[in-house]
Amino acid sequence: MFIHNVNPSIKAITIILSVLLLALVFDPITPFLFIIWIWFLTIGVAKINWKKYLLYFSPFLIFAVGMFWSNLIFANEPINPNAAITLFGRDFPTEDVNTALSLSLRILSFASLSLLFLLTTNIVHFILSLMQQCKFPPKLAYGILAGYRFSPMIKDELFLIRSAHRVRGVNRAKTLKEGFNQYKRFAVPLLASSIRKAERTAIAMESKGFTGSRDRTFYRQFTVTTKDWIFLLGMVAVLLILIIMSWQLGYFKWYNGEL
Amino acid sequence: MSIPRIRVSQLKLFYEDDQKQPILDELNFELKDHENLLILGPSGCGKSTLTHCLNGLYPRELDGAMQGDISINGVSANNFASGELSLQVGVVFQDPETQFCMLTVADEVAFGLENKGIATTEMDVRIHEALGLVNMTAYKERVISTLSGGQKQKLALACILALEPEILVLDEPTANLDPKAAKEFIQTLDQLQQKKQFSLIVIEHQLDGWVSLIKRSIMMNTNGQIFFDGILHDGINQHRDRLEKLGIWIPRATKIALAIEKQGAYFFNTLPLTINELASYPISYNGLDKKKTVKADKRLLLKARDISWSKRNTSIIKQTNIDLYHGQFVAVLGANGSGKSSLSKLLAGIQKPSRGTIHLDDRPMKNWKEKDLRKKIGYVFQNPEHQFIADSVFDEVAFSLRLQEYSEREINNRVEKILNQCQLTGFDDYHPYTLSQGQKRRLSVATMIVDDQSLLILDEPTFGQDAHSTKQLLHLLVERYNQGTSIVMITHDMDIVHHYADRVLVMEKGHIVLDTTPEQLWNYPVGKLNQWQLELPKEVELKQLQQKDVGYVHT
Amino acid sequence: MKNWRLKEVIVMATLSVVFGVIYLAFLPIGGVLVGFMGPIGYEPIFGIWFIVSIIAAYIIRKPGAAFISETIAATIEFMLGNALGPILMLVGMIQGIGAEAVFAATRWKIYSLWVLMLAGMGSAVTSFIWGMFQNGYITFAPNYILAMFVIRLISGALIAGLIGKVLSDAVAKTGVLSSFALGKEYKKRKKAA
Ligand SMILES: Nc1ncnc2c1ncn2[C@@H]1O[C@H](COP(=O)(O)OP(=O)(O)OP(=O)(O)O)[C@@H](O)[C@H]1O
Ligand SMILES: Nc1ncnc2c1ncn2[C@@H]1O[C@H](COP(=O)(O)OP(=O)(O)OP(=O)(O)O)[C@@H](O)[C@H]1O
Ligand SMILES: [Mg+2]
Ligand SMILES: [Mg+2]
Repeated sequence: MFIHNVNPSIKAITIILSVLLLALVFDPITPFLFIIWIWFLTIGVAKINWKKYLLYFSPFLIFAVGMFWSNLIFANEPINPNAAITLFGRDFPTEDVNTALSLSLRILSFASLSLLFLLTTNIVHFILSLMQQCKFPPKLAYGILAGYRFSPMIKDELFLIRSAHRVRGVNRAKTLKEGFNQYKRFAVPLLASSIRKAERTAIAMESKGFTGSRDRTFYRQFTVTTKDWIFLLGMVAVLLILIIMSWQLGYFKWYNGEL
Repeated sequence: MSIPRIRVSQLKLFYEDDQKQPILDELNFELKDHENLLILGPSGCGKSTLTHCLNGLYPRELDGAMQGDISINGVSANNFASGELSLQVGVVFQDPETQFCMLTVADEVAFGLENKGIATTEMDVRIHEALGLVNMTAYKERVISTLSGGQKQKLALACILALEPEILVLDEPTANLDPKAAKEFIQTLDQLQQKKQFSLIVIEHQLDGWVSLIKRSIMMNTNGQIFFDGILHDGINQHRDRLEKLGIWIPRATKIALAIEKQGAYFFNTLPLTINELASYPISYNGLDKKKTVKADKRLLLKARDISWSKRNTSIIKQTNIDLYHGQFVAVLGANGSGKSSLSKLLAGIQKPSRGTIHLDDRPMKNWKEKDLRKKIGYVFQNPEHQFIADSVFDEVAFSLRLQEYSEREINNRVEKILNQCQLTGFDDYHPYTLSQGQKRRLSVATMIVDDQSLLILDEPTFGQDAHSTKQLLHLLVERYNQGTSIVMITHDMDIVHHYADRVLVMEKGHIVLDTTPEQLWNYPVGKLNQWQLELPKEVELKQLQQKDVGYVHT
Repeated sequence: MKNWRLKEVIVMATLSVVFGVIYLAFLPIGGVLVGFMGPIGYEPIFGIWFIVSIIAAYIIRKPGAAFISETIAATIEFMLGNALGPILMLVGMIQGIGAEAVFAATRWKIYSLWVLMLAGMGSAVTSFIWGMFQNGYITFAPNYILAMFVIRLISGALIAGLIGKVLSDAVAKTGVLSSFALGKEYKKRKKAA
C-alpha cells in the first residue's frame, strides 16, 4: 500500500516529471523498459487487480497501435532510405519503424504512468493536498470539489433532458442545422441548470462560513514526509538508470532535429 | 430588556437597480432569544430572499439595492467580517441537493468546522455529535449522492447544527419529505431545542406540523410587506379572508372549521389550528363535497406485467403488475425513495423496464411509434425545468401544437386559452427559466395539457406550491379527468388523495404493496400506514377522533 | 483570485466539470476519426477541447477565467479517465494560455465574436506547439504538419469561438446568468432594445 499512501501532490509531480523526461526520448527500448517497471509497481507493489488493470489499459493499446500505423504511413522522408524492415509484406525504412515504435510506446508509457496515479489516488485527497502542499487557493480547490460533485449527476441530467424531449415529441434531426439545434437544446438546459446549481452551492458554502481565506483547519491533513521524497527521487532515478542502460546498449536516442 | 437576537428595521430590497416595486418592502421585526418564528407568505413574495439578508449574503452578493438595517445581537450586519455572521445565523436553504460541496457525509460536516477553525483533533468528536443529533451517525462514511431526499435534508441540518449557531433559519425544510418523515423532522427539531438553546425561524407553506412548536408568525403579502406580526392563532383569526385571497395555506383543521362555518353548522369564536382542537368542539361533520364525478369504465388502457427495473446493480422496481383503466384518477403514494418516480417513468415509456412487458391499448409499448405514444401519454417531470425546450412561454406551449401542424391562428387561440387557465397571461414572452417556481410548475403542466392524451402522468405536481397554485393545478386536472382522461399522480399530500383520487397505489421498496380506493386505505391500521410513511387526511382524522369520542362516551 | 466572487469561482469550476465530461465523451469520436484519416483526424474537432475557456471567459470576463477553466476541465477529464493522466493538467494550462493571451491583449475588455474566435485560435496555436513535442508530430512530413495546423486553427475559431459564443448567448437568454458579466450585458441590451 506504499504507493497509495504517497502524498498525492508529490505523486502527481513525480509523474509529470517522468512524462517530461520520457517525451525527450526517441527510442523504443527506454519506454518499453519503463512500462515494464510501472506495471511491476502497479500490479506487484500497489496490488491493483490485473484484470481490472487490463480493462483500463486496453483502449490505449488500441490507440497506440493506430498511432504506430499512422506514424509509419505519414512519416517524413527518411535520411537513410536503404535500411528497411519488412512488415506485413511491405518495406518500411528502419528509421521510420523505430520512430513509430518509440512514439506508440511513449503513449503506452504515459498511459501506464497515469493509471498508476489514478488507481492509487483518491481524487478528493489529491485536491485537498494541492491546497495544503502546493498553495492552491482554497476558493478554487473547494470550487473544483463542489463542481466535481456534479460529475455523476451530469449523465443523469442528460438522460432526463433527453426524456423530456421525447415526452414533448421532439423529432430526430434531419438536416445539419436541425442537428445543431438539437445539440443546443441539450446543451443549454444542461448548462443553465448546472450554473443555477453552482450558484446555489456557492451561497450554501458561504453560509457555512467559507470565505476562501487560507486561514482554516483541515479534517484531513496531508503532510510531506521522507517517504514521499524517496518515492519521487526513486522514480526519477529508475528512469535515468533505464535511459543510461539503453544508452550503454547503444539504443538510446534523443530527439535532435536530425529527422 | 435584553438585546434582541435579530432586529430588522426598514428593510427594503430591489433585485434590479431600476425596479419600481421592491421585493421586500419596509420590513420591521425582532426576534428574541429562544423565540420561534414562522414566516408565511404566497410563493414569490420574498421569503427566501429574506433569509439571504439575515445571514449577510445580501447585500454582498446582491446585484440590486438593499436599504435599511439588520442587526444581529445588537451589532449591525454590515460590521461583521465576511463569513463571521454566517456562524451566528445558520441557514438551511430550500434545496438540499445543492447545499453540499464535498463527497461524503463526514467531509461535509467537517467543511463548516474547518471554516470555523476547529482544531483537527477535535473534529471527529464534533462530527459525531452533530450527526447524532439528527440520528445519522450510521451514515458518517456514506457518499452523499446515495442518500435519500429525507436523509439529505437531515444532513443539511446537521452541518449547520455542528456550527452551533444561536439562530437557526430553515427554508421549507420538509417540502421533499414524505408525511411521516416530515413529522419526525419536526419532532427532532423540538428535541434539539431542548438540548441546545437557539432561536428558530421557519419558512413553510404547509404549516400543519409546525403549529405545536411555533406560536409566533409573520405574514407577508405579494408585495413583500408584512401585514401581521404576532401570535399565529390570532393572525389566522384576524386575517382569514386575506389569507385565502393571497393564497397562503392555513392549517387544514382551520380550513375544515371555515367550511363548517360556511355550511352554517357552527360558529367558532376562535378558529382551531389542529384537528385535536377541532375535535373537541361539539360538531358533527360529514366531509366536504367530493369533486369526483366520472365513474371509471372498465376498458383497459395500460397493462404492465412483471416489470422490473434496476440501476447500477440495485433493483429499484421489482416484479410489478398494474392494470390501468380509462377514466381513472390514480394516486401513487409511498415513502421517499420507494420507487414512485421510477415506476411512473416506466409506465410512461420513458424508461424501458429491464424485464417484463407493458401493453398500451393492447399493443406492446415497444411496438408503438414514439410519436404516436406521445399523443397517448403525457408526462410531467418532478423538476419542471427538465420539461422546457423553447425560448419563451408562448413557444413552449405552442410547441406540440406546431408539431401537429395546426394553423397559426388556431395555435394562437389555443395557447392563449391555456395560458389564461394557468394564470400565465402576460408572461408570453418570458423565458421559462425566469418564471417563479409556481409559475414554472403550472407551465410544465400546461405544456402537457394542450394535447388530448388519454393518460396524464404527473410527478408531484403540487410540491412547494402555495394554496392558489395548488388549487389551479388541480382544477385543470379535474377538467381533463371529467373529459375522460386517466390521471396518474404521485403525491405526498393525503388531502389531495382523499378529495380527488378514486384509486391509490402504495409503494414500498420497489413493490406495489397495496392497490385499493382511498376510503379503504384510511381504514388500514395506523401501524400499517406508519410502515408506508403515510398519514390520514385531516378530514378522516377528525372523523375517527369524533367516533372514538362517541365510543368512549358510550362505554 | 482575490477579486473573484465565490459564485464566479464555483460556476467556472462547474462549467469546467461539465466540459471535462464532454471532452472525455469526444475522445472516442476523435479516435474513430483518427482511425479513418490518420493523426489529422483529430484536427477538425480539436476546437471542442478549447470551448470551456471561451465560454468561461465570455461569461465571467475576469483575468484568468480562460486559463483556469481550461486547466480544471483538463484535470477533471483526466480524473474521470483520460489516459494522459496528470500531464493533461499541463496540456490544459497550455491550451488555456493561448486563449488567455488573446483576452489579455484586449486587457480583458473586448468580448466580440472576433476576439472569441481569435482566442480559440490562440489555444490552437499553443496546443499545436505542445502537440509537436508530446506526440512527436515533428516526425511527420512538413506539408502534413501544415495541413494539421491550419485545420486546427479553423476548428479553434469555429467550434470553440463561434459555437462557444452561440451557446453562451443561448444560456444568457435563460436568465440564469443575471449576476454575471454576460447576463448583465444581455439585460442592458434588452433594455436598450
Ligand atoms: N436572483 C434573483 N434575481 C432576480 N429576481 C429574483 C431573484 N431571486 C428571486 N427573485 C424574484 O424575487 C421574488 C421573491 O423570490 P423568493 O425566492 O424570495 O420567493 P419566496 O417567497 O421564497 O417564494 P417560494 O415560496 O416560491 O419559495 C420572486 O418574484 C422572484 O422571481
Ligand atoms: N438513476 C438512479 N441511479 C441510482 N439509483 C436510483 C436512480 N433513480 C432512483 N434511484 C434509487 O431508487 C430508489 C427509488 O427512487 P425514486 O426516485 O423512484 O423514489 P421516489 O419514490 O420517487 O422518492 P421521492 O418521494 O423522494 O421522490 C431510491 O432509493 C433512489 O436512490
Ligand atoms: Mg423560497
Ligand atoms: Mg420522486
